Amino acid sequence: MKFVANVDFNGGQLRPLDKSDVDSIVKIYQKQTLAGQSETASKEHAERMIDLSVQMAATQRGLMWAIEVDGQMQGMLSLYDWQPTSLKTLMRLDVLPPITAVQQADALSAGIDFLAQKYHLRNFSFHCLPTGDESMIEVIQSVGFNQQACLRDFRRTSQTEFSDILVFNRILESVSLGESS
Amino acid sequence: MNWNLNTEHYYVRFSHEEDIPNIYALLSKDSVVKYHPKNPMVVEAQAMDEARRMVMQFEAKEAAFWLVEEKATGKVIARLSLKKFNWVSASAQLQVDIFADYKTQAILAELVYAVATLAYEDLSLHRLEWNLLAEDTSSTDLALAFGFNHDGQLSDFMEFEGKWIDYQVYSLLNTDDAWQNAIKQQGLPKE
Repeated sequence: MKFVANVDFNGGQLRPLDKSDVDSIVKIYQKQTLAGQSETASKEHAERMIDLSVQMAATQRGLMWAIEVDGQMQGMLSLYDWQPTSLKTLMRLDVLPPITAVQQADALSAGIDFLAQKYHLRNFSFHCLPTGDESMIEVIQSVGFNQQACLRDFRRTSQTEFSDILVFNRILESVSLGESS
Repeated sequence: MNWNLNTEHYYVRFSHEEDIPNIYALLSKDSVVKYHPKNPMVVEAQAMDEARRMVMQFEAKEAAFWLVEEKATGKVIARLSLKKFNWVSASAQLQVDIFADYKTQAILAELVYAVATLAYEDLSLHRLEWNLLAEDTSSTDLALAFGFNHDGQLSDFMEFEGKWIDYQVYSLLNTDDAWQNAIKQQGLPKE
């Protein structure tokens, strides 16, 4: 059974992760500006992530798409903390050159449209670092995300250091409570 | 580690079997729970279930709950909770259920200081978060008076009775001047 759908966007496609993505995933997780990355990201971790992505989607706890442009994986669009009863999810966008900001925005918009239509999700959030995530912040703002909060020292970055987290939200007003679609 | 706390006027203690009526008396009052927001309990069996959940969450290291017993009268006047322990980011969420008559700055300064001290010193937490509704102005005023920072809003965080609920996020870090001053003064501002 297929738990992660293919979604087309202008110039590319969101598709399930597969074994051929291992090298790209390792590159993504070695990119130092990404939150949660690890210098020791390894192929084993990437392979495990691919396996877990299927489990996450099957249980509606999360979802991971590869962003494919010109036949190459150029990033990932992921859902975490997916709460079906609250119709909301936390998202994450991880990209590699040469994907453009416009392509990233198109991929994100297509993903959101799909999630709204298929799963009725309406409340989408991003957690961004104040420094290092500027280009991603520009992309998500271009598709309607607004900063709602700056959670002070919300993420631990080392044993003794913490980083603020900027919370961005986009809420789709088209899905109202009690509305059957 | 001793989880039971002793302040000047209150025993801030874990609940026991005899506390079911106390929990019910507290959480059956709309004025106590309406800003969480929750519906008040309507039968005592709900308090029994709540007590069971409190124990389970504590045993799972997800939360801790204290009942506040007034020393002078023996009356349970409040429940304080630290929820959503995040041991990676060293954070937890504060929740206060208290009878309206006791919801004063002096009383909550005494209680929040006791629980925050345990959180920062014994549990080594770094960040306490207090999520409040904007219309709960008595609580938001207290949060600011105690030195919590308004971090922003979590929009449409949950649904309650057909409405989407926004939470206002207030945080107090163990490195904040407000907390360091509280340590020096041995208490949060009481007025």
